[in-house]
Amino acid sequence: MKLKCVWCLSCLFVASVVMANPIEDQIRIRQSTYAVMGWNTGKIKNQIVDHPETYHKDQIIAAANTLSALAHSNLLEELYGPGTDQGTGWKPTRLKADYFQKQDEVKEINTRLIKETEELKVAADSGDVAAIKSQFGKLGATCKSCHDLIRVRE
Amino acid sequence: MKAIQQMVWDWPLRLFHWLLVLAVVGAYITGELGGSLTDWHSRLGALTLGLLIFRIFWGFLGTYYARFVHFFPTPGRLITYFKGDWHGVGHNPVGALSIFALLLVLAALIVTGVFANDDIAFEGPLFHLIDKSLSDRISGWHEWLVDGLLGLVGLHVTAVFYYLLIKKNNLIRPMLTGNTLLRPDQFVGSNGSLSIPRFIFVVLIASSVVWIVWSGLVTDYLASLSR
Repeated sequence: MKLKCVWCLSCLFVASVVMANPIEDQIRIRQSTYAVMGWNTGKIKNQIVDHPETYHKDQIIAAANTLSALAHSNLLEELYGPGTDQGTGWKPTRLKADYFQKQDEVKEINTRLIKETEELKVAADSGDVAAIKSQFGKLGATCKSCHDLIRVRE
Repeated sequence: MKAIQQMVWDWPLRLFHWLLVLAVVGAYITGELGGSLTDWHSRLGALTLGLLIFRIFWGFLGTYYARFVHFFPTPGRLITYFKGDWHGVGHNPVGALSIFALLLVLAALIVTGVFANDDIAFEGPLFHLIDKSLSDRISGWHEWLVDGLLGLVGLHVTAVFYYLLIKKNNLIRPMLTGNTLLRPDQFVGSNGSLSIPRFIFVVLIASSVVWIVWSGLVTDYLASLSR
């Protein structure tokens, strides 16, 4: 009897997970990813560009590592499924409807993002603020190129 | 009939015009490229604000043709122009409309820009007065206004070249030298003398406003109120 209860509850749990909206989950999680990236780029801007007197080498290394890890997280494959140009995660998605026709460009920008964040890690390890600043500028331009390509204007 | 050489655009006005060209072109390019250039975009926006404030004050305190009262496109003046009866000097009423439209769009770009953010690392100088979702919406308006700006600038440049090439009326030279040739019946008397004290006064006002907005004074003061 007890085993049957456990089995029923487990099935219900699995069913509820399956019934959760996969499209809205993808949108929500990728929005969270970009929020975390924004936290880290903001940190770098503050300590490297605006107030270099507050530079903490370890914090910037951690920020660069986080950005690189997120760039490597495969979110383009897993969180941009069909139909995810409509729906709400934390807020309505701003993905353009023609995103799915632009895959070649998207992949190219993604490759660039991975490369730029890895070079940011190298600069962060070196502790050279000028090098970090220069590389951070390149990273920002890469971020922007994707926004301009696949994100609807507010 | 002997043509009379008349100073139409005083040198502060000419300086304002060409600095505005540099500021707007620079702001557009740095805005499109982004990355580390976004900080320069903000500085060029600050310069544009200073120039706009200068022009508004100079429209009341400058020499004759620079004053708004002389060329503001009232309905009466527009009707006169469309009937073919406007024979003035300086901005004609339709040209004046486009000038004011340009100044308005630039002002709107600045007002939205100071609250904007680029989702990466840049925040406008007054970003901290509002929350991120409102800033995101304002940033959207800022981007939409660029389209309007491009249209108006395109119209302005096209009109200047239309005048130059088709109507054989060179409007660029007066904006460089300040002088144009008038028929005696167009001559309204001297342009008035340029007042250097007034010029310094207007520059000081423009610089002060830009400094107040960009130096963090506003946000620091408001932050201190809540402590």
